[in-house]
Amino acid sequence: MTIAEIVAEATAFDTPATDAPVSIGLSADECLKCNVCTTACPVARVTDLFPGPKYVGPQAQRFRLGSELSPGSGHLSLVQSPDQSIDYCSGCGFCTTACPADVKVAEINNRARAALRSGHRPRLRDWLLGQTDLTGRLGVLTAPLANWSLRNRLFRAVIDRMIRIDRRAPLPRFSARTFRSRLGGHRRSRWSADAPPAAASVVYFHGCAANYYEPHVGRAAIDVLERNGFTVIVPPQVCCGLPLISNGLYAQARDRARSNIAVLAQYARAGYPIVGTSTSCTHTLKAEYREMLDMDDADARAVAQATWDICEFLLHLHEEGKLDTDFGPLDRTLPYHAPCQLRSHGIGLPALDLFQLVPGLRAIDLDHDCCGIAGTYGLKSEKYEIAMAVGQPLFERIQAAGQDQVACDSETCRWQIAAATGTRLRHPVEFLAEAYAAAGA
Amino acid sequence: MARADVAVVGAGLAGLTAAIRLAEAGARVHVLASGHAATHWAPAGIDLGAVPGAATSQASIEQLARMPGHPYATLAGEVPAALAWLRALLAAHGLDLVGEALDPLRPIPTAIGATRLAAILPDGMAGALPEWAPDETLVVCGPAGFRDYWPAGIVENLRRAGTWRGAPRPARIEAITVDLPGLAGRHNLSSLDLARLFDQPAWRTVALDAIGRAIEARVHGPGRVALPAVLGLDDHPAVLAAARARLPLAPFEVALVPPSIPGLRLFAGLRAELRRDGGRLQVGEAVHGTIGPDGRVAELRAPAAAREFVLAAGAVILATGGIAGGGIVADGPGALRETVLGLPVEAPDPGQWLLADPFDPAGQPLEAAGIRTDAQLRPVALGQSPSVLAGNVRIAGSLLAGMHYLGQRCGDGVAIASGSLAARELCGAAR
Repeated sequence: MTIAEIVAEATAFDTPATDAPVSIGLSADECLKCNVCTTACPVARVTDLFPGPKYVGPQAQRFRLGSELSPGSGHLSLVQSPDQSIDYCSGCGFCTTACPADVKVAEINNRARAALRSGHRPRLRDWLLGQTDLTGRLGVLTAPLANWSLRNRLFRAVIDRMIRIDRRAPLPRFSARTFRSRLGGHRRSRWSADAPPAAASVVYFHGCAANYYEPHVGRAAIDVLERNGFTVIVPPQVCCGLPLISNGLYAQARDRARSNIAVLAQYARAGYPIVGTSTSCTHTLKAEYREMLDMDDADARAVAQATWDICEFLLHLHEEGKLDTDFGPLDRTLPYHAPCQLRSHGIGLPALDLFQLVPGLRAIDLDHDCCGIAGTYGLKSEKYEIAMAVGQPLFERIQAAGQDQVACDSETCRWQIAAATGTRLRHPVEFLAEAYAAAGA
Repeated sequence: MARADVAVVGAGLAGLTAAIRLAEAGARVHVLASGHAATHWAPAGIDLGAVPGAATSQASIEQLARMPGHPYATLAGEVPAALAWLRALLAAHGLDLVGEALDPLRPIPTAIGATRLAAILPDGMAGALPEWAPDETLVVCGPAGFRDYWPAGIVENLRRAGTWRGAPRPARIEAITVDLPGLAGRHNLSSLDLARLFDQPAWRTVALDAIGRAIEARVHGPGRVALPAVLGLDDHPAVLAAARARLPLAPFEVALVPPSIPGLRLFAGLRAELRRDGGRLQVGEAVHGTIGPDGRVAELRAPAAAREFVLAAGAVILATGGIAGGGIVADGPGALRETVLGLPVEAPDPGQWLLADPFDPAGQPLEAAGIRTDAQLRPVALGQSPSVLAGNVRIAGSLLAGMHYLGQRCGDGVAIASGSLAARELCGAAR
């Protein structure tokens, strides 16, 4: 099927899903207790504080299932977990992919963690890490001061002591201007009937990272999409909500989801593909609104159906014979790390396939599970060292590769790996933009 | 959408053998697996066959090859080259295999104190293979608090008459439980925890010293010590060397309940090899596809976030396992289904699926359920006229019909032989 045909299916969603998915909580019933999930867990590999996904997931689930088994109960009315160790789950999702019995281990754990926190006032730190919109806006407004402060050791030590964001954790630099403010007005417009035709247009979901920290990633995405003849529309949008989900703040995450769905569903239903450069945002639009936040209505399904990670989109375009493959040469060996969130997409490694189209570019798959950061996990004082230990084999492989640049699709992974290795981390689409530029106009 | 010359479904020994051999030959290979099982569960010995009346694996293979419909009827000749290939591959990762197809099958102790017949084992386990001399002591030694390996219980079973299947047995069998550093009071101690501790040089020095002193205090004279199979995960060769240097008796590892540490080592070696040769491994979702009107499978599909992942492939190898591996499922009495393409399943009559004795040494008849193929491993229709059902599909491993991989202990041999043959069959097609 072509991209247009796939997106067109979004128009067909007029009712909520009738085929209710198998309950995430009840999937624990399929568990064989074989512990394959534990062999795949990057956190249990490095710390005794987390006993492993089987113990806190399907095994502990028997203490939590009471309310879910009763008719009509919501997923979040679970009884408490038997202990607090589930807080050390980083949410990378490798347990779910490794499971031979189709138990939704990571999803069970995420919900149980949210249940553990529901009814309590969130920690200031966890609340703050969830507010990427707010911190991004304030940070850009005060960029020189904010960037100086976040690199000031005394300030970081105080922050560490006061709210437990680790003084060594890799925090990104705020951009002096947001990505959106650099766009021409027409691109930022709200939905209207006289929008450019869907067949030659793409809606771009930049997420917080490109907007507040890495506008160059957004720029590269627009360059690559325009090079392929698309008009790029950047409608109003808020944080996808994943940092809130990861920190157990589901109610706030639903607010963000509702805002985004209200805007994006109009485009999805009119046949516009929605393309993002942050693999974690695109995965949230595709799956987490429906699976984690229980927002499985027709609009949410339409948005999910229309959403693409940018490398997935470009590779599909290539399969249709429509990708401009006139790439100039990039003579370099490029180590590539596939983030956890990309693997949760289940779309293979499209960036590696695209790199093969660029003359001279020799990409190598670093083939390590997780860099450790897992969104906001590795920023937390009690988890920083765990996160660094999780990523250590990856950092060693990068050092051994001896290259000055590394490619990775997810922003928090890029910041973690850059801080740990001293190399320059870039989004795959930046290399494609560079290769187009090398080919000339 | 992704594209490959050959799509391999299943990441067990058969699937990875096929995938690596194709990647070695230059094909673009993409392995899809719904999860990890075979390699992470199995003890990692290479069982070629062990049937009553056969003294060696080779004799077992020849006996099975004479059984009508057994995979070895067409694959027996493939086994020696496939084993040599696997041996060389694993040796390059420090994972030596010890033993030959012509070596006698010998009883080796299991983690419940039974014995099983084996001839080809990873180096760490192979110390169990030589015949027991009349003056040898077997010490079964495990860490205190480790519930997957209980020396006293193992020893009690190993001392029973008949356990050693008539072969020479150790003169004495002793149990020793050792407190290892830092583990006092620890709950949920798993084989993974122990293997990762042994990977740490400082910890293993102290731990091996504690084990050595405990043995020296109890046992004098010749013998061997049976340890749980936790002697390192990433650094196993170094751990094994250190154990051999420090312990007063020759150590050997005993396979445990899953997750299997020797199996994880095997998987790590195979995975590294696949990556080196440019193959892809994608794990997470159940795969399905359809046979087109041209008698070929053009693409495979797997659920993914929001919509299906599509892999276009020139050829497909199904190595999804049998009724235990998930390649075949029973939807109800008599209703067996092959999960990827819906191929017809050859199976015993529903009334004869299972024997009254769950532990019948012959294995359960249902184990033999599988896909019937021609000599090129292409799936064929059941019945009098076995026409080829899908020309670009090959079947490998325990999905093949007609074998009892438990009762006949032939699963690994069939896996590497069929994986190798399927790869060779498709090498031409892939180009």
